[in-house]
Amino acid sequence: MNSLTQLLRNSLIQYKPNSSIIKNAKKWQNLPKFYSTEALQQQSEPDKLYKFVELELKGHDPAVLKSYAKFAITAGNHLDVNSISWNLRKPVHERHTVLKSVHIYKKHRVQYEIRTYFTFVQYKELTGSTADTLLEYVQRNLPEGVGMKSTKVELQSLPPFITEEESTKSDS
Amino acid sequence: MTSLLKNVISNTQINTQLVRLLHTTSVCCKVQAGRYRITPKKDFPLTYEMANPPHEIAHRKTWNSWNTSNLQGGLRSSETAVEDVFIRKFVSGTWHNLFVSEIIIKRQHNIIRVAGIVHRAINARKVYFLIGYTEELLSFWLQCPVKLELQTVADKKDVIFKYI
Repeated sequence: MNSLTQLLRNSLIQYKPNSSIIKNAKKWQNLPKFYSTEALQQQSEPDKLYKFVELELKGHDPAVLKSYAKFAITAGNHLDVNSISWNLRKPVHERHTVLKSVHIYKKHRVQYEIRTYFTFVQYKELTGSTADTLLEYVQRNLPEGVGMKSTKVELQSLPPFITEEESTKSDS
Repeated sequence: MTSLLKNVISNTQINTQLVRLLHTTSVCCKVQAGRYRITPKKDFPLTYEMANPPHEIAHRKTWNSWNTSNLQGGLRSSETAVEDVFIRKFVSGTWHNLFVSEIIIKRQHNIIRVAGIVHRAINARKVYFLIGYTEELLSFWLQCPVKLELQTVADKKDVIFKYI
């Protein structure tokens, strides 16, 4: 966990617009152009805001999923991210029915089934850098035999043509 | 002519007798895949994996291959299965008579990890060579990093669960 907070701190420093890097920008003026200016422009961009990041976990073994969801939530809570998990969705049983005997005897069948269990983990209200760090950490520790689908919902400001219209309406 | 007729009649008689001897039973729907028969002397060694029949998978024992290809919406399930068979054959052939457990294949991202228990029958230098050899060749063939995670036992009896 220590290394994780370290990682987060480092990435936060990178993304913070008013960090010491920009204050010391004068010192860097002698450096080659591609290194100093472009990097600074990137850093001065405002960070993305996510309403939530949702992870859909799929696996054959419910115990593994449960344990991993607990891990993901604990990792989120250590970073002070509001995180919850649930598994409301019913497991999918994919069944194959075949003859038990090689040749005849239609009445005697065997059923094989492949089960897929689902678990969901949701992190609420994240900045872009936190989301990147957290997802990186959580995905690197994904156990074998577990699939993950992550969905991000980003907050964006209203597009300019809407705000302009509204302002003209209020004027008239 | 009469002799021929006699012959035929006697033959049919024999046939009827044979037909009456032949009798059929209902189908024996015995399930025997993945199970071991008890030997008369009760001295056949079984590991824990072998002692549990297939319906105990996910209850008392787990799968030998861990991957996401058979999940709902999973990709390349047939390729994974064929690759797993190939890895098992290659590893058990390269480590001839050394693996005392099943070969477990775990796939995480693009890494394949092959795990198992090895009998400490050869010296350490040979083991290191075999590890490097297996990892190098498998990662070349499968075009992804392959890692071996081995544990060793001094005696083959260490992994025996019971004798039947």
